[in-house]
Amino acid sequence: MNLVGAVNEGLRQAMAEDPRVLVLGEDVGVNGGVFRATEGLYKEFGPDRVVDTPLAELGIVGASVGLAINGMRPVCEIQFDGFLPTVMDQVICHMGRMRNRTRGRYSIPMVLRAPHGGLVHAPEHHSESPEAYFCHTPGIKVVCPSTPEDAKGLMIAAVRDPDPVVYFEPKALYRAAKGAVPSGPYETPIGKARLAREGSELSFVSWGAMVYTCLRAAELLAERGVSAEVLDLRTLTPVDIEALLGTAEKTGRVVIAHEAPNAGSWAAELSSLIHERAMLKLKAPVRRVGSWDIRMPLFRLEKYYIPDARRLVRAAEESLAF
Amino acid sequence: MSLRTVAESRVQRLEVLGENGKADPSVDPKLSPEILLKMYRTMVEIRAFDEIAFKLQRQGRLGTYPQILGQEATQVVPALALEPKDWLVPTYRGQGAYFARGMKLRYSLLYWGGDDRGVHFPEETNDLIFAIPVGSHLTQAAGLAWASKLKKDGAAALAYLGDGASSKGDLHEALTFAGAFKLPVIYLIENNHWAISVPRERQAACETLAQKAWGYGVCGLQVDGNDALAVWRAVSEALDCARSGGGATLLECETYRLGHHTTADDATRYRPAAEVEAWKRKDPVLRLKAYLEGRGLWDERRDADLRARAQEMIAEEVRAYEAFPPPNPLDMFANNYARAPWALIEQRAELEKILRESRDLEEVASLPPPEGRFP
Ligand SMILES: Cc1ncc(C[n+]2csc(CCOP(=O)(O)OP(=O)(O)O)c2C)c(N)n1
Ligand SMILES: [Mg+2]
Repeated sequence: MNLVGAVNEGLRQAMAEDPRVLVLGEDVGVNGGVFRATEGLYKEFGPDRVVDTPLAELGIVGASVGLAINGMRPVCEIQFDGFLPTVMDQVICHMGRMRNRTRGRYSIPMVLRAPHGGLVHAPEHHSESPEAYFCHTPGIKVVCPSTPEDAKGLMIAAVRDPDPVVYFEPKALYRAAKGAVPSGPYETPIGKARLAREGSELSFVSWGAMVYTCLRAAELLAERGVSAEVLDLRTLTPVDIEALLGTAEKTGRVVIAHEAPNAGSWAAELSSLIHERAMLKLKAPVRRVGSWDIRMPLFRLEKYYIPDARRLVRAAEESLAF
Repeated sequence: MSLRTVAESRVQRLEVLGENGKADPSVDPKLSPEILLKMYRTMVEIRAFDEIAFKLQRQGRLGTYPQILGQEATQVVPALALEPKDWLVPTYRGQGAYFARGMKLRYSLLYWGGDDRGVHFPEETNDLIFAIPVGSHLTQAAGLAWASKLKKDGAAALAYLGDGASSKGDLHEALTFAGAFKLPVIYLIENNHWAISVPRERQAACETLAQKAWGYGVCGLQVDGNDALAVWRAVSEALDCARSGGGATLLECETYRLGHHTTADDATRYRPAAEVEAWKRKDPVLRLKAYLEGRGLWDERRDADLRARAQEMIAEEVRAYEAFPPPNPLDMFANNYARAPWALIEQRAELEKILRESRDLEEVASLPPPEGRFP
């Protein structure tokens, strides 16, 4: 099964087990979503539970907040990562803080889904990696799977979670990532990372589609006799601090790879955590490899913007030579 | 105590051309042959371009492309009605409007081919780059018009939007400003009845989108958007109103997206073929052609000639598009700031080093020199 199929199966099983779950967003119903993530759900669950909304992102998220407060379990979709900025008013001012502002009286058990990342030759504003804006926001959880198995398990965990979860779907992996997926409902625990490759001399830390770039870089390093491991965070907040510090302390050399510009990125936060808590085990400063601190260019230049395996190997070699 | 009516509004619809191309003399703007022929020529050319661009995408020679098939009148005519100093603020489905303003079609191809060099407007007109996040340009158009008002330069702003975009909060805020400050701005809704797979009726419960204007103290009018003469008349009157201090207008131009949403979409998944067929009978190009023939301004021979010349012009644009050298990756770093900060200077140098070291060396050596302002 591919990753978009796993998202779809996760949604279907979450809807089947809980009648409060509803899916809403632009083109998610009759059309099954522009990536087909909600394909078939409209037929199976009907127009009250799979809702084609008007074109109004802030309305979609604000209404989901209200639906969640009043007992529903909305899973809303924002069609592309590039259209998330407009919903930040609801995310920051309400979704993330309703539980705390009401001193626990109201909670927001909702999921906000959005595609993530580039390298699919998409138009402008369709290849963004805005996770840091969300991770910076208190009161929400942020996940980003890289395998079909985790995509399904994290979807079910996100829907069942009592707090708002932002669920990023790496669009480069929708069809490219394939793998076996258990057939029944199951959870991939939120807050737990996955060791995608074991190694001893250097650690790549990553999430989403960049995990595969790290795996390729680890291959290239292996050819040069360097043993690198790859930690797939899966959850960005709350980050799996044990796994993060564990790999840092084990190899002493960390390269954090991601698709967003480095400045103020989630990689910057992870780097700080490692430096603050594992400083004396490090053999080199933690390196961040992200996109340049400029906007995502149109797609003909995206391969020079988003880090590739060679850039990761360069950073690894600098770390090894430190 | 009483219950009485304190305000009332009504929605009017403007139609000039019948489906047979006959004009109603009471509303015919009686345009000069020169303008009529320019309108028609531009509509035929952009339709021919649209078809070729679609094929280029299918052949892998272009990225995702949004067709304008069926919307030629609403695309081209408003842009032709503007003066160069007026601000044109199109949407991503706007290549017809840019073309009518004088932008060469090779740049539309470059843009949808994933190349930032495709953003290239004529020097002499005020054209804004379109916004991909739907509706986010609407308040900006209010600001453009506001500045013109403050500067007293006599210019107006014309912003396009879709029926889908009319649901965004942005329109509410844009009309609020346009009304409150009596701004010389026109919001032109190209109601093509679909926002990807979501039909017009799902966007709003009101019978027309034009009536949204009344809530903001702005004039509203529904227009047959497949009727080039009605569009011309409506836009011209709205421009007169804007220029004479009368404030803003919201025009709902009813048209139809005959093609898919973009080349990435498959419209057969969500809409009936019969609906598409019914709209083909209201084809804006054919209706204008029939009108021109009725006035003795046009015939089949001239039409064949125009189409042949359009094909040649477009073939030349495609050649020019494909003859552009690949973009230099270092161009990404240009024009980010008036003066690039240290981080960008460092990062550009790093990319340059990577490019020189990499196995793409030959590819890199063949690149044109970097363009744009840096640092
Ligand atoms: C804010 C935002 N949300 C979603 C999208 C994705 N999207 C692109 S076009 C479109 C439909 C727009 O419909 P409409 O405004 O009617 O314009 P049309 O495409 O019909 O010209 C959608 C949902 C977007 N570009 N921006
Ligand atoms: Mg539309």
